[in-house]
Amino acid sequence: MDFTPNDIQRQALDAVDRILERNGDTSHNKKLVEQVAYDHALHDELAGAGFFELAVTEGAGPLDAALVVERIAENAAVLAAAATALVFPMVTGEVAPGPIALANGQGTPFRLGQFAKTVLILDGDVAKRLEVRPGDVEPVNNDRTGWPLARLSSAALQRAPALGPGKGEELRNWWRTGLTLEAAGAMKGALRQTVGYVKDRVQFGRPIGSFQAIQHRLAHLTVSAEAAYWLGLEAAYRRADPTAAAAGAAYVTANAPLLLRETQQMHGAIGFTREYPLHLWTMRLPALQRELGGLTRHARDLAQSLAAGIDTRADAVASQL
Amino acid sequence: MDFDWTEDDVAYRNDLKDFLREQLPEGWNGYNKSDLAKYKRDSIAFSKAMAERGWLTQNWPKEYGGQEASPWRAAILSEELWPIGEPRGPQYMNVNWIGPAIMAAGTEEQKLYHLRRISAGDVCWCQGFSEPDAGSDLPAMRTRAVREGDDYIVNGTKIWTSHVGTADFCFLLVKTDPSAPKRAGISILLTPMDTPGIEVRHIDGFVGEQAFHQLVFEDVRVPAAYRLGEENRGWDIVRRALSFERVGAAHYETGQKILRSIIAEAKRNGAIDDPEIQTRIGEVYAALEAARLLTYKVVDLRAHGSPPTADSNLSRVAQTTALRMAGELAHAVFGEEGLVAGSGGDIRRVLSFGVAAGTTEMQLDQIASNFLALPTKV
Repeated sequence: MDFTPNDIQRQALDAVDRILERNGDTSHNKKLVEQVAYDHALHDELAGAGFFELAVTEGAGPLDAALVVERIAENAAVLAAAATALVFPMVTGEVAPGPIALANGQGTPFRLGQFAKTVLILDGDVAKRLEVRPGDVEPVNNDRTGWPLARLSSAALQRAPALGPGKGEELRNWWRTGLTLEAAGAMKGALRQTVGYVKDRVQFGRPIGSFQAIQHRLAHLTVSAEAAYWLGLEAAYRRADPTAAAAGAAYVTANAPLLLRETQQMHGAIGFTREYPLHLWTMRLPALQRELGGLTRHARDLAQSLAAGIDTRADAVASQL
Repeated sequence: MDFDWTEDDVAYRNDLKDFLREQLPEGWNGYNKSDLAKYKRDSIAFSKAMAERGWLTQNWPKEYGGQEASPWRAAILSEELWPIGEPRGPQYMNVNWIGPAIMAAGTEEQKLYHLRRISAGDVCWCQGFSEPDAGSDLPAMRTRAVREGDDYIVNGTKIWTSHVGTADFCFLLVKTDPSAPKRAGISILLTPMDTPGIEVRHIDGFVGEQAFHQLVFEDVRVPAAYRLGEENRGWDIVRRALSFERVGAAHYETGQKILRSIIAEAKRNGAIDDPEIQTRIGEVYAALEAARLLTYKVVDLRAHGSPPTADSNLSRVAQTTALRMAGELAHAVFGEEGLVAGSGGDIRRVLSFGVAAGTTEMQLDQIASNFLALPTKV
């Protein structure tokens, strides 16, 4: 066990931080969200620097890619980070220039689809791979908040060839790992923004962050944001082991709703404006919460696999607390 | 980063499991604490056997008889011992923080006297912290120690003290300067429990036998040589000790055992087919895993030589949250059968997790000020 980044991981994080900083701040990301645009410049720079190959590069691996994905999400960059840097290479064993998007087979809205060159589709239990052609995806109006969304045409869905047997399960598990990391990043980003805000915002003659009514709620959110981070990293380290991946996804989908409403609440009205950047993080959470069937599906899958391993007699021992 | 145990750690865990099979009767599931003398005898016998293996104080420095084992070893030990009912009895406290506090602040004489006993596994301690009017606000304590020649004369009352019935010594917090700012006037006395003037009153509760006591001190004469650290400087020692106490017990692992018994019952009574129960099982598992990882973060910080941080408060809050969720799920799955004392659905103690070892509210305060650096209250 070692929870401290090694030299390679530190270097990768430093490098990605430098690129993110050079690329632009929250106002840059705000503008992209406003225009429903993708950060192609950032995408190309990260691709050029090899970040989308990290997961399948010798001497590195999915944990290193996961660290980078989480950092990009924490930065609120408009980028298909998890799909391109983690899910696609791990499921296909290939590296593609991207952007990659992830969709289900029901034709429901999915993140960043209108910018994708390739879409990995989970159709029931079958994984499919679509090389996008004009007309395959249609943007969806989500009032320019959160992730840009699109819908897949039924023709495209039918055209997409299936990947090999077992790939559906792999895709589900890596997708869960990726969404845990992106949710962890969004949770940490929203929390950081809120902690900064309550330190500055003065009401009743004192910063609102000095009120215990605010402090305890933020402390609870800190627990969930930090835990989400470690669950995402562990799932990546375990190469999207089904239990670890479902545990991460169940945790973030169970805890993100509270973080979303509390960080919005603590900001008051300013938090609902386009001018103020909180929405860059918070408004991403609803999409992440709904993917792959959401909490119910993640948690029930987890329960069913746990139950399969339980011996009704041997495990029926009351614990001495 | 590495989320796997080293080969050495795996081998250690296996050796430990073998050792537990040798030492404890088959199916052993915790002590019956209604027979205190037997409880003390058995827990000492177990701790001595651990000491003979060199495991009781393996994390201690070599100069105090330890092996400087990695803090991960202590985590493994805790994961194996807590879910089955902590066969060390009260001695986990000695090893985790009382011994280290004595190492950090004790005189050579105190170290020689106490550390050898603790590492041999044949001494039991209790902690005299809370008072009737000083719970979460611990520095508001009023138990007075007045210097008289070479002794202190102690008067006051401690309450909620666990493990008193087995204790040979008390790690006693006293006020030596009531006029000083709250935290500045506190001292620690390593007090033998057989000192005349200490009266022990058992308080009957419903969360485990031997959980609560009141300790009344009436003109108790404690030699000044028993004071740990400088006079009026005890708070710093205690604060450090408490940060170790918070993660000393792998409650998340106990929670996993509870969850397994809940799932076993749900399979038996058919509740497992209920989609809502399934969802809640998944949520509890994820919450316990979250608690495990946040605890590992603290162990990792310690393994890298970091001083205590608010990460230990995050761990504690995560553990409390997860265990309460497990308790509430047990309620739903065991139904009326869970009302029977000792059944898998008997989750009364889960409720006390947010109170023991520092209330959740105090943990949240610590996170707010030390992790988030939020402004202090005005």
